[in-house]
Amino acid sequence: MNKDILIIGGGIAGMQASLDLGDMGLQVHLVEKLTCIGGKMAQLDKTFPTNDCAI
Amino acid sequence: MVEKVTGSKGDFTVIVRKKARYVNEDLCTGCGACAEKCPTTVPDDYEMGLGNRKAIYRHYAQGIPSVFCIDPDYCRTFQGKKCGVCQKICQAKAIDYKQEDKVLELKVGAIILATGYDLFDATRISEYGYGRLANVVNSMEFERLSSASGPTEGHVKRPSDLRDHNLIKTKEKSLKKSTRTLAKYEKKHKMSTADFYKQFTAGNISDGDEFEKWVKQYENVREATRKLEELKARAEKFDIATRLAFIQCVGSRDFRFNKYCSSYCCMHSIKEAMMAKDHDARTEAYIFNMDLRTVGKGFEEYKVRGAEKLGLHYVRGRVAEITQDENENPIIWYEETTSQEVKSLTVDLAVLAVACEAPRGIEKVAELVGVALDHNRFFKTAPLNPLDTTVPGIFVCGCAQGPVDIPESVAQASSAASRAAEVIWQSTIEYGESHWKKKNPE
Repeated sequence: MNKDILIIGGGIAGMQASLDLGDMGLQVHLVEKLTCIGGKMAQLDKTFPTNDCAI
Repeated sequence: MVEKVTGSKGDFTVIVRKKARYVNEDLCTGCGACAEKCPTTVPDDYEMGLGNRKAIYRHYAQGIPSVFCIDPDYCRTFQGKKCGVCQKICQAKAIDYKQEDKVLELKVGAIILATGYDLFDATRISEYGYGRLANVVNSMEFERLSSASGPTEGHVKRPSDLRDHNLIKTKEKSLKKSTRTLAKYEKKHKMSTADFYKQFTAGNISDGDEFEKWVKQYENVREATRKLEELKARAEKFDIATRLAFIQCVGSRDFRFNKYCSSYCCMHSIKEAMMAKDHDARTEAYIFNMDLRTVGKGFEEYKVRGAEKLGLHYVRGRVAEITQDENENPIIWYEETTSQEVKSLTVDLAVLAVACEAPRGIEKVAELVGVALDHNRFFKTAPLNPLDTTVPGIFVCGCAQGPVDIPESVAQASSAASRAAEVIWQSTIEYGESHWKKKNPE
């Protein structure tokens, strides 16, 4: 029985899931193919509804 | 990169290949001196190819981990040329050309697939001219053009003008070089080029190889200068794109490509139009749609605000074709369904709201972890278990299971996290119980 969790993909969904599991006290391995996490959302300038910067 | 997954719910063994960065992560401070000095320039994927990066790079400035990485496909050292500039300049001594991939074996209880999506390749719809017409861009490219940290520093410049500016730069450079050669001739023969040319054409100077070369060079310079002036005059005429057309449902709700609705593009285009209007009040934005699907908390109000406060034009009608005029302005041909007329509209820039597609390579991931895909190539889920894949203990969230917007992606991620934690804790309880029973037989 293993307690760790693997997440494939470091975009907004992968990051949110990692943070939630981390808050629960579980160890997470986050695998991302690019050099940085952030995914497509990091490319977005500003986001709904406040039109604030995405990063 | 995940290479192999074995085992079942509660007990997976995963082989992960950690790719070499060729930069020591513990030593790199992220100062960026290496990228400043790197001689190799590469089109930047993050800027959708509209800007450039170096062969040693960070995906984006605020990226985490804040560590640089060498791209071996472009780096001069890896291509067998003499370089090593980054190694010399790095004060932290973090550059390590000999770093190798690491293969890790992870023991995990649950897996979450959050592999996201890819943008629809708009070159597949030839009548929209993406890739053929300079000033037709996709929604993500427009996002970078309007971003303050993007290649144009937030001024919505047209790709054709960016191309012209680059052309002016390279032409100026080569002109400078040719003028230097002329100066050499002048020095050698102690005569100004203009004088020489007058005398040569008058026939006062006899033929000679070098004189002919001189004449040719002079004529080339004159021609290049004239072309440069023309280009500059054209570039000066244009400032930033203020007439924008947003074309919805490019590759989605289209029976030739994807039948599904990509769900977020309506809001995305409204937002992009709003940002452009905020940046420059002269902006006139037209959103060509079949219907604006603004379903979600606060979405409809956002759409109405766009029309009433910012004066965005929502045009109902599907665009048939995009052509361009002699100034490379896109012309949008469409049927206005409210008046039942076929019309055209000339704009500065056309933005295609491209569909959200399952990422290229999703089949490989599915095969690796053993889960099934649905008919749209996203990970298969059941209506009442929307985040469970076909394999127990493996969950999915975000666009990997189908097109969703950011708020829903985040909600699904939290939900998938809870489902994964359930697996871990349930098996912990089961393990505890069996352990207790073993210790205390009845």
